[in-house]
Amino acid sequence: MTSKSNFKLMGWLLTASLVWTSSAQARIKLVALPERADTIIRLDNPQATLIEEERVLTLQQGMNQVDFSWKGVSIDVDSIRLKVLDHPEKVTLLNVSYPPNEAALVWQISSAQAWEETVRISYLLSNIDRLITYKAVADKKETQLDLKSFLILRNFSGEDFEQAKVLIDYGEAFDRGIQHEETKQLLFMKEPKVPITKVWTFDARKLPWDPEKMPERNIGIPVSYRIVNDQKSNLGKFALWSGKARIFQDDGHESTIFLGEDVTGMVPVGEKTELYIGDSRDIVITQRKMRETQINIRRNTKNQMVLYDMDEIITAKIENFKDSPAVLTVIEYIPGEWKMIDCNMDYEKEDANTLKFEITLPARTDDGPAAINLEMQYHRLNIRP
Amino acid sequence: MRRLLLPLVMLLLCSITFAKVDLVTLPTRDTVQLTIYNSADLTLARESRALTLKQGLNKLQFSWANTLIDPTSLEMLALSNADKIDIFDLTFPPRVRELGLWNIQSGVSGKVPVEISYFTSGLSWRAFYMGTLAPDEKTMRLQGYVRVSNNSGEDYENAQTRLIVGKVHILDEIAELARRQYPYGRPGEVGPYLPAAVSMEEKEMRGKGRRMMAMEAMDMAMPARPKEITKEGLSEYFLYTIEGTETILNGWSKRLPSFDTDKIPVVNLYKYELERFGESVVRFLSFKNDTEHELGQTPIPGGMLKVYRTVDAEKHLSYEGQSAFKYIPVDEDVELNLGAVTNVVLEAKLMDYSTDNYRFDYKLNVWGWDEIRTFKIEVKNTREVPVRVEIKRNFDTSYWTLKESGAYGAYEKVDMDTVKFTLELPARSKKQFQYILTTYHGKRQEEMPAN
Repeated sequence: MTSKSNFKLMGWLLTASLVWTSSAQARIKLVALPERADTIIRLDNPQATLIEEERVLTLQQGMNQVDFSWKGVSIDVDSIRLKVLDHPEKVTLLNVSYPPNEAALVWQISSAQAWEETVRISYLLSNIDRLITYKAVADKKETQLDLKSFLILRNFSGEDFEQAKVLIDYGEAFDRGIQHEETKQLLFMKEPKVPITKVWTFDARKLPWDPEKMPERNIGIPVSYRIVNDQKSNLGKFALWSGKARIFQDDGHESTIFLGEDVTGMVPVGEKTELYIGDSRDIVITQRKMRETQINIRRNTKNQMVLYDMDEIITAKIENFKDSPAVLTVIEYIPGEWKMIDCNMDYEKEDANTLKFEITLPARTDDGPAAINLEMQYHRLNIRP
Repeated sequence: MRRLLLPLVMLLLCSITFAKVDLVTLPTRDTVQLTIYNSADLTLARESRALTLKQGLNKLQFSWANTLIDPTSLEMLALSNADKIDIFDLTFPPRVRELGLWNIQSGVSGKVPVEISYFTSGLSWRAFYMGTLAPDEKTMRLQGYVRVSNNSGEDYENAQTRLIVGKVHILDEIAELARRQYPYGRPGEVGPYLPAAVSMEEKEMRGKGRRMMAMEAMDMAMPARPKEITKEGLSEYFLYTIEGTETILNGWSKRLPSFDTDKIPVVNLYKYELERFGESVVRFLSFKNDTEHELGQTPIPGGMLKVYRTVDAEKHLSYEGQSAFKYIPVDEDVELNLGAVTNVVLEAKLMDYSTDNYRFDYKLNVWGWDEIRTFKIEVKNTREVPVRVEIKRNFDTSYWTLKESGAYGAYEKVDMDTVKFTLELPARSKKQFQYILTTYHGKRQEEMPAN
């Protein structure tokens, strides 16, 4: 098998039609093949990268054997396909065989005439992929952001691509070469003025209840930007891919500050994503259980308690030390079977045991922080000892 | 002596790929701005330079050997003719480390101002404070400082320096990103990271002969009065901008005054809570970050406070203790823990114990009962200044009632099993009071009177 000694490369098969056993059968080795014509690097599937390349084979009339071999790269053998482009009716791929202990395969091709035939070879190549990153700059009021998305092309496949069309599942192709061990960052989306909603969330299961009991550290309330992938947001043309997003903010001095970074999951059209940027230390929540009492105790004939309810009161003091109002989402949990007895705020049941409150906090005034109390009294029902 | 760490240099034609394209030669940076975070090892650097571009494709090489720059954060923006200048891509070429190559398609030729921004590790800042109590301990002078340190590997001269107060969410350590062999790693790989780029020897080399330089730089930058720090809120953060520019050479730190408030009214607060502090009384210094306390303009970043007290007319000082505190929003109460003391003494004694109200089940086993405990609390203030004492008592059940007896009567229910008593004690005085705690057990829990 002829192969190039060059360290990286795919020893591409090559032409050199060898005279083999019979004159009726020609054997082509694709080694340094005629120059690769159009090459496409298709990155629409995050799991695997598909390479398609066109080459010209010099076929003889009758049977031809074309060897396709590679070296220093990792190709999924079962993914290799050959498509005849010029004379699909008259050139037929009969079978594919795999030589022992070689990174290669042999196509047996029948051709009606001797001619130069363009074929497209496609295969899955390992260690070449793409990442998506986002960079966004929010305005000072935090109502919208300028969103950019970059494609990061990483080629560690062992193969140099001098020129290729790089395709993702939308947008225009990039015409780029990429060398082995090279990484390229390409801007592929730029969308100014994407509206955002800023959200603060207190989750009673994730955050400590009483900041006073942790004097050495601040309990920050997580802050996120919510972005909807739809037309109203100047988006909605395609799904936003999963990737790391770095968010900055215009500081009003012709510069920016960095607000934080997060990874977004895949966001299909119409869906929303929330990017967690940092913690607010200007909203303080002190949540305490003020009552936990057994009531409605039911007993058996031996007077043993068999069933009871629990009367519980939770209060959460919410203080806004900010100069601006904020909409805080509070998530509370009540396990098991329960009944709300009294609650001073409206809530939405997210599921059987999760309560979601959306609380509008006014801004701090000259008299001090805006303080709101959330109080709920509920009975947890039919508990067995 | 200055190391050329971040130069944009002309690429000396190392590959035929670039042979047909002119490389852009760059002057040094015109201005640099540093925005330094303290919740993470992260600094946003932004520099402006004037590129000389020619029409067509330009290649620009940026290298950052021996610094701690995160290559994934590199960005270049044209400050003029932005619509005619297309930043085609940023390439990290094979087998070269700490180097990026911008391909720029320019519709104009001539000077183009650009802004290059990136994250770097190694610069940091922290806040710290000095408090000086008046002899009567009713007021305190509070001086805030920031200390900015540069261990980034790069000398930053005449940099506009800004500090961010607040907690950013970050996924990757900038220092780790800076040390990666490949900026974005390899497919299917997490890491591996290379060891730090700067060797000890190199670090020593750098230290030498740099003192003079730093001093000169300081002299030049020194105005006739201390610099002011402008503070403003942005999103969930506070941005401190130090007036003018600063020169902070690699390896150096700089202390800058942040604020100085002369007379903050303070309360000498002492706390007792057996479960939290043990048997000692712990001293706190309490005030509020508001205008009544001569503060309240901006939040106070967390840091260490060392507290001194003026002891005589010659203004000699005595050291009272230190306390680390967390970020204090505007209008928030501050309680600084100065540690256990012996000059305020509290004794909590169980004076009487009895049980009562037994209930029996059908087998005549005990089914419910009450436990009644009488506690005596005695507090002594041996100091020559008045103090406030807060006493918290935790019970191991939420079924309890409390009756007072003796001199003191009011208490506050903190949560279902905690109460708090607050006492004001004049100088050199003593107070005592008693309370009777009844706890309810078994069947008696159902019969407990409303609390």
